[in-house]
Amino acid sequence: MSTRVNRRTLLAFLGPSVFALLAVGVVPLAYAVWKSFYYFNLTKLSRSEFIGLDNYATVLTSGAFWGAMGRTAMLFITAVPIQIAIGLCIALVLHRPGLTLFKTLTRLALVLPMATTYAVVGLLAQVMMNQKYGVFNQMFGWIGIDPINIIGDPTNAFIGVVFWDIWQWTPFVALVLLAGLTTVPPEIEEAARLETKSNWIVLRHVQLPFLIPSLVAVLILRTADTLKLFDMPFTMTRGGPGNATEFIAVLIERIGNRQFDIGLAAAHAIIMLAITVVLARIYISLFYKDVR
Amino acid sequence: MRLNTKASVIALAATSVLGAGSAWADAHAWSLEKAAEPYAGTEVNLLFLDRPGYAAALEMIPEFEEKTGIKINTTTVPYENALGEQVRDFVAGGDIDIALIDLVWIGNFAENDWIVPISKFTGNADLADPELDMEDFFPLTLNAFGGWDGEIYGLPFDNYSGLMFYNSCMLKEAGFDGPPETWQELMDDYGPALTKDGKYAFALQSKRNETQSADSFARMLWPFGGSFLNAEFRSNLNSEESQTGLKFRQDLMKYMPEGIVAWDHAETVNGLAQGDIGIITEWSSFYSTLVSPETSTLGDCLAVAAEPAGPAGRKPALGGFSLAVASQADDAEQAAGYLFIQWVTSKANAERYVRAGGVSARQSVYEDPAIREEFKFVPALVESWQEGVPEFRPRFAEWPEITEIVQEWGTKMMLGEVSTEDGATEIGKRMEAVLDQAGYYGGDKPLAQ
Repeated sequence: MSTRVNRRTLLAFLGPSVFALLAVGVVPLAYAVWKSFYYFNLTKLSRSEFIGLDNYATVLTSGAFWGAMGRTAMLFITAVPIQIAIGLCIALVLHRPGLTLFKTLTRLALVLPMATTYAVVGLLAQVMMNQKYGVFNQMFGWIGIDPINIIGDPTNAFIGVVFWDIWQWTPFVALVLLAGLTTVPPEIEEAARLETKSNWIVLRHVQLPFLIPSLVAVLILRTADTLKLFDMPFTMTRGGPGNATEFIAVLIERIGNRQFDIGLAAAHAIIMLAITVVLARIYISLFYKDVR
Repeated sequence: MRLNTKASVIALAATSVLGAGSAWADAHAWSLEKAAEPYAGTEVNLLFLDRPGYAAALEMIPEFEEKTGIKINTTTVPYENALGEQVRDFVAGGDIDIALIDLVWIGNFAENDWIVPISKFTGNADLADPELDMEDFFPLTLNAFGGWDGEIYGLPFDNYSGLMFYNSCMLKEAGFDGPPETWQELMDDYGPALTKDGKYAFALQSKRNETQSADSFARMLWPFGGSFLNAEFRSNLNSEESQTGLKFRQDLMKYMPEGIVAWDHAETVNGLAQGDIGIITEWSSFYSTLVSPETSTLGDCLAVAAEPAGPAGRKPALGGFSLAVASQADDAEQAAGYLFIQWVTSKANAERYVRAGGVSARQSVYEDPAIREEFKFVPALVESWQEGVPEFRPRFAEWPEITEIVQEWGTKMMLGEVSTEDGATEIGKRMEAVLDQAGYYGGDKPLAQ
């Protein structure tokens, strides 16, 4: 029996997927690249013109762009390590034998933050962190702490965004790492535990190598998510106060949807895409070589 | 007798002629139902906001639909999305038939030919209500909300003036018989007396969105003699008057709640409604929220006055929305849309609109003593609309870009991240770059705002 598949069958199976990818991924991207070479403002269409790399030059020399990139990087640097640390702890607890009901309930509870719409998280945060009426300050009051101006203070507002990002995405990290822990062969883990009572040694020398692919996946996904983070800070602070929470996606939205400068917004987005791809390559080359 | 007979004949003839004339007039009298007959079944799409004026209109729409057979489809969006939704719809040739225009969008919409001058319909006897009476609109609202470059496009629909709402009981307890007449009085007398025990004299909503530009930044420019632009369209923000106003705002913050830069309308109105704030300057449309026992604890303590005056006069905040027919709509949709705009903003419906929670721009409705008695904001509103500045915020097409700059740097000033001078310089530099690119300095565009 021949295993050769004819071209028509291949096309029939692959064609729809390739077409869908082209339609929803490649064509809009190509359009964005094309528009990034134009002055293209929706409210001044009559003045649209080809301006070459001017939009890119504007982005790369813009204090607003680098400021937003810096804040985005700071968010990533502060939130993701905490998410990985807490996520790993949760995953290790859930990986231990026993406590079946507790673990089932915990797994269910972990899904809830991820299932909450980003924009809703921002709106809830705005209410919960209100200085006078918010539940956060009410709880601070119970332990004798004076009300804190969270959303109206630049540093506190940034911390607020970090807090909610951790709240929403730690469960995701935990579930991915839990899946990674299931790839550790039980006999190897069991043998290691016979050799040592130290959980740290088992984690460092046995479990961690198997977790590298999961960690790389977490890093890539969280990097992309952080660069795209928009809904939550937008509904919570709208990038303020000042520009304390104006992350790169919030800035791009402002340029594209408030100032209607689609060409400039597209240039921002293309540069952001390039940064994401480069970071992804760096993660893969750095971490995967350990397991090759 | 002969004379009497002759007179009777003449009288009879005259009566017949008059009767025939009256019958002819009855047959041809304008009515909404008749005007709408050709458009029955037409669907008209427009955006609404989640604000009292729109809730009032929504109460009225079923009657219009019943009378005309025209279906009005409204989609409620947050204010922050309304401009973007409409711009994208107009650029893409979408299905919006009536444009909802904030006064700062009118230049943008008119210059892009997205809206139709109202004269196209008011000149059509089949559509124009003889009772339209354009003179009855407050001239300031008609020109500022619906007019651009000498042409009227929209009729004022959701109309605001900045008013001073205050807790008269709180003021009385502190020894004041009435509200401050001037901003300086608010700073010197009311501020120290009312700011205590976790309560604040004043709250100036300053969140980083249009609230920062319109309600906070601009509000402190005009009464002090400042403005965004001078006669040559260069930044006027570093003028002595503008700086006085901006510094005044900084000083006044000591009598405002901490974190005021994060306060939007909801927080500010709630602050007064819950008795935590003594005085606010807010849009007239929030009267219905503050007077309702469901949303306010103030009861009879609520009082309203015109905004305090500065050295340059009262110059209250001015804002509001007009409705205009979209040029992308087809002929039937345009006609149906116009009939709706004309009806919902009509003199005949003004009282009903006001009683349902809206703020009409019709002068006649506020002449009614019962309305003046029942709605405490009316005298202050009428006074404010006599003294308002149409270019309180420039209404040209570049405002969406400029407001973003003002929002960012205005907030930074309030947070003390930059001085008022440096912030004004930065806004001025960026604002002039936008205006230069638009062609104002090259003579390509008239210096209209």
